[in-house]
Parts: sequence; structure tokens; C-alpha cells
Amino acid sequence: MSLAEPAALPVATSAAPRLRVLKRVLGRFKASLPAYLLLLPSLIFLALFTYGAMGRVLVDALYQRASPKAPVRFVGFENISAVLADPAFTGAIVNNLIYAVGTAVPSIALALLFALALSRTNAVTSALRAALFLPVLIPMVAASALFLFIFLPNVGLLDYYIGRLLPVLPNWLGDPDIALTAIMIITIWKNAGYYMLFFLAGLQAVPEDVMEAAHLDGAGPYRRLRHIILPELKPTFLFVTVIATLNAVTQVDHVFVMTQGGPSNATNLVLFYIYQQAVEHYDIGKASAATLLTLAALMTLTALSFRTLANREGGP
Amino acid sequence: MLFSRRIVLGLAMAGSIAGALAFPALAGEGPTEVDLFFPVPVDGKLARDMGTLIKEFNETHPDVKATAVYTGSYDDTLIKTRAAIKAGKPPAAVIMSANFLLDMQIENELTNLDALIKADGTTKEQFLGQFFPALHGNAVINRSVYGVPFHNSTPLLYINADKAKEAGLDPSKPPQTWAELTDWAKKLTKREGDKVTQWGIAIPCAYDYCGWMMETLTMSNGGRYYNEEFGGEVYYDTPSMLGALTWWNDLIYKHKVHTPGATPGPAVSTSFISGNAAMMMLSTGSLTYVRDNAKFAYKVAFIPRNVRNAVPIGGASLIMPAGLEADKQKAAWTLIKWMTSPEKSGWWSRATGYFAPNMAAYKTPEMVEFLGKNPDAKTAVEQLDVAKPWFATYKTVPVRKNLEDEVMLVLNGKKQPKEALAAAQKAADETLKPYNAETSLKLP
Repeated sequence: MSLAEPAALPVATSAAPRLRVLKRVLGRFKASLPAYLLLLPSLIFLALFTYGAMGRVLVDALYQRASPKAPVRFVGFENISAVLADPAFTGAIVNNLIYAVGTAVPSIALALLFALALSRTNAVTSALRAALFLPVLIPMVAASALFLFIFLPNVGLLDYYIGRLLPVLPNWLGDPDIALTAIMIITIWKNAGYYMLFFLAGLQAVPEDVMEAAHLDGAGPYRRLRHIILPELKPTFLFVTVIATLNAVTQVDHVFVMTQGGPSNATNLVLFYIYQQAVEHYDIGKASAATLLTLAALMTLTALSFRTLANREGGP
Repeated sequence: MLFSRRIVLGLAMAGSIAGALAFPALAGEGPTEVDLFFPVPVDGKLARDMGTLIKEFNETHPDVKATAVYTGSYDDTLIKTRAAIKAGKPPAAVIMSANFLLDMQIENELTNLDALIKADGTTKEQFLGQFFPALHGNAVINRSVYGVPFHNSTPLLYINADKAKEAGLDPSKPPQTWAELTDWAKKLTKREGDKVTQWGIAIPCAYDYCGWMMETLTMSNGGRYYNEEFGGEVYYDTPSMLGALTWWNDLIYKHKVHTPGATPGPAVSTSFISGNAAMMMLSTGSLTYVRDNAKFAYKVAFIPRNVRNAVPIGGASLIMPAGLEADKQKAAWTLIKWMTSPEKSGWWSRATGYFAPNMAAYKTPEMVEFLGKNPDAKTAVEQLDVAKPWFATYKTVPVRKNLEDEVMLVLNGKKQPKEALAAAQKAADETLKPYNAETSLKLP
């Protein structure tokens, strides 16, 4: 209505780009609409079973009952500080750190060793690869039940064979000094074959001509490994490390089956602690707070690793 | 268009899944449909036996359609029941570990059965009178009935009779006191130099079992594990428990007749079956397993005493969660009464190895015949005369774990009994604090 007035002209010209921006955004949205539509089914399920649950955890973490008969009330960050002050939780974190390092490093080292030894494809290496991959196919719960028998004190398979060599038979799962190590051995046995697959794939990407050139230049196997293969495998290392760390936090089936976190909390890991709070203590507030803390740590880790992965251009 | 259809489709799918989970029994004109949650604490065969039992119930009760839902271990069953209550669709009946009842009652999760008993024209005393008196403690809370005993156990002393004879001991006169048991264990331990090739005795200690064994030893030492009348107190730092734990510790480190460390139940029974341990203390629930697997003559006996003969009960009761509709309540009550009747109680006992809580079950011809063939099953029943309730407090499991963690340290030689029990008492008092704040310490 003020178009007739010359003074309004600058306004009109400045409005045009804004409209253009809007149009561009709309256009971009239209272009990516099929993508969103394709994502929708999984988004719905993620929303229902993952994000919905996460939102609920966020809310639950802020509420607590003062006493059994009292109604829940808003307590803010009290649950989180209660969890952080709980020696069982800090103990579980320490255990989890030991467990993460103690399983990731040996299983990655073993996986690399296997992959290097079996990188050429022939009948023998294929059979060996299959053999090393076999533990991955056994469900963790079934494997734990098997190991429960292997670790039986005095009469188990392990004591039957190596027991003759030792002066005192160890109580593998009943001694707080050994139990976590026993749990870690299973994890390494179970995961090394899985990580080997990634290293095998990574080794395929090592350029053949560079290797040949190094060979012609007289570089020995150690120098070829140190200066060509390992640098080429860097993205694989990074990826496998992330997976191994995530596994160390999210896989507690064997703890559940074999030790229930015991003896004396020696094998209590963070996820099992959360289970205990929710189920045994029936303390949803504290369980949610512990979940929130774990989730935050895992998301930070994932974000960091994704950024590093992106910086390195690629990865498997 | 596509967008909204997807949402509708997704929601419809999610809705139908949720619906299938939440409303398994949309009651129409037909029979009242009830769900029974049941755990399998010992072995997989029980699930099949439960199927047989429920099928028979449905055939004889056309107005009720019961469905048995397998819910995992005792702990899992508690989780699933609580989840179902929270979702507003509780199962009509649950076989619940007998020492979870108090905790559930404190959380207002149980139906008081008094009204249903009264509606049948019986009194509470008459109703409870059917069951062994030792079982009443875990079924009655504040003088109201909340559970009906379904299958129960007590700890027993299992003896490898062949090994006993070999060592010059008479298995027909099993040890009756701790002193005799210590003596037996010493004679039954075989060594090659420093190495033990056969242990005298094995006592299980893993979460759950450990607390039960501590209660067993404390009771036979004259003590009480907890306040039977009030859920806010446990007696960990007491002379009777100190004596019990010190004796257990001595068996390991002084007499060296018990393997060091915490040994779970299955490891103990395997050790006994393989001849590696000559005696063990274990639940009557393992009797069928031992009977089927032992390749030697064995003998079961009462748990020996230091001060008195006394043992706790174990096992499970049938309960009804709170918040059931009247028709479901009625149907579930019919099911519960049927399952705990003498005939069915006896049948279940023979199938599982638990003893039958209903006293009349032992007068049925099938049971008389069974006991004639398996006299060892009788020992568990006889021991009921000295049995007492299983510990149950506010937050039973964490309070129990407070003790178990410390006991495990003692068995591993990392702590002395006295300081361990003081620490356990302190931790348990802390766990019980909110309940005491609301009850015993809430003053006018």
C-alpha cells in the first residue's frame, strides 16, 4: 500500500533477498524431501524406541522419592550428584576403564597380528580366518555359559589342564583379584576375530605398487610394516578403537551371566550398575542419572571420533 | 500424502505391537483370561511341567483361560511384574520369590488376599493352616495374607557316602554339630603335599545364595538375620553372625578343608557330583539334580548346629499384583487355590524337587509311594520343623548385597570377619535409612 511512495523503495529491495533466501531454503527442502521420506520409517522407530526413551530418562533423572510411600518430586541434579558420590559407581567406572583398555589393546593387537598373517587368500588362510571368526558367531550369553564351565574352580576345563602346573588352583570368578581378568579374556577371545575383519579390509587398501617399490628399494618386512602398512591402516585403527570402546561400555552380557558384578563388586561395570540401581534398588531416578552420565560420555566419544574420522578423509 | 500415510502406517504398527503386548486378554463374553508369570529358577524342564499344569487347569475350568508366561529368573520376574504394573496391565498371578513379598507390599504392589479368603467362607487361620507353619512368615505381612506358598526349599547337608566310608566315617550317622562337621571335613580332605585333591566341604557363595547361606549358618548359631516383625532392621554385626562367618573363614584358612574364594551354587554341585568335594551345603531344590547325576551313594542330612537346629526357607509364593479388575482377581484366585491344592502341590514337588508347601500333599497316595522310593526327599520335609522365614526387608536385595560383598572379601582372605560385618552393618543401615525415617524414626 505504500508502494507509491518513493521512500518505501529501499525497503522493497531489501525484502527481495530475504524472500530469495526463504525460497532457496524451501527449494532445498523440496529437493531433499525424498531423502527425509526415506528416513521417516526408521526415524519413527528411533523416536519411539530410542529418542523417546532417552527423553524419558532425561525426565526421570530429575525426579526422586524421599521415602518409599512418598510421591516422586522434582530434585534437579540431586540424583546426578548422588550417583557421583556413590563409591559403587566410581568403582564401576574404574573397573570399566580397566576393562576398556584391557580388552581393546590386546584384542586390537591380536586382530592386527591375525590380519597380517592371513592377508593372502588361499585355502589354508581362509580356513584359519573362519576359525578365528567363529567366536564372533557365538552369542555372548551362550559363550558366557560355556566359560562358566571352563572357569569352574577345581573341576573346570581350565583347572583340569593347567591346574597340574599351579601350586594353588585359582578361583577364576570367585576371587576379586582375578575375576575381572577372566571376564576380559572372554571379551578378547570373542572380539579379536571381529576386529580382524576390519584390518583385513584395511590391508586390501594398501597400494600394491608402493609395496612393490619399497620391496625393490630393499625395505625389509619390518620397515614395510612400520612405514607403509601401519600408516595406511590408521583410519582402520581409529574406527576399531571406537568400536572396541563402545563395546566395553555396552556389552555386559557375560557380567550378567557369570559374576553379577561380583565378587565384592570386582567386575561391576557401569551398565550393570545401572541395572542394579533400576532393578535391585528400584531407584529409577539414580538409574536414569547414571544412564545420562554414561550416554553423555559415549556421545562425546562418538562425536570426537567422527570428527577425527572426517578430518582423515575416509575410513572403512 | 505419502508423508501422512507413512506416519499412520508406522503408528498403526507401533500401536498394534503395543496393543498386543498390553492387552493380551480382551475379555468379551467368553472365559476370563488371566496371565500367570512364572520364573524357572532351576532348569528348563520346569517350563514344560508348567505347560502341562496350566493345560490341565484350563481343561477343568471352562470359565477361566489361564496363560503361563515364562519370565526368566526370580529377579527378572520381579522386573517384568513391576513393568507390567507400571504399564497398568498387571498379570493376574505371579510366582514370586518368597522374600520379595515384603518389599513389594511396602511399595503398594500387592493385592491383600484377606477379602478373597473371607469370601470363600474360611478364616485366615484355616487357610494358612493348610501350609507348613515355617512358610507363614513370608506369606503374611502385618497380619494380612499377601502370598500363597507354591514351592519351597531349605538348605541341606549332602554327603558323599562312599567317600565317608572310605575315610572310616559312618554315613548313617551324619554330623550333627559344627564340631562334628569340622571333624568330618578334615577327615574327608585329601592332600598331595600342599595341594588339595579332594575338599572336605563346599558351601556356595554368589549373590543370592551367599545371603541365604549366611542366614543358615547364623540361625544354626542361635542368631537371627533380620527383624521378622519389621522390615527396617538387620542383625549383621552380632555375635551369632560373627561366629558363623568366623567358622566359615576357619574352614578355609585354619582347617583348610574348604576351597578359598566365593563359589557359586552350580560350581558347588558340580564339584560334589565330580567327587572333588565330599560334602556340600545346598538347597533341597538341587536334590533331583543330585539324584539324577551322582554316580555314588549319597546321603542328605539336616544342617548341623552350633547352638540350635534352625534353617531358613527358600522358594516362591503365588501373589496377585495390585490394581486387578474384580473378575480377573476372582479367576486368578481360582487358579492359585487350584495350583496350591494337595494333589497339584504334590505333583509339582515330584516334578521339581522342591517340597510341597501344602501339608496334605504328603498324605496323597502318589506322594506316599514317591517318598517310599526316595527317602532322601523326606529329610527336607522333616527339617521344616525347625525352619523359619527367609529374610525379607525393605529393599531386600541391596540389603542382602551389603552383607554378601563383605562376606566375599572374607572368603577371599582380604578382610577379617569382625571388620567385614561392621562394614556390612553400616552399609545396610544406610540402605534401610529411608524406610526407618518413614516408620520407626517418624515420631510425633
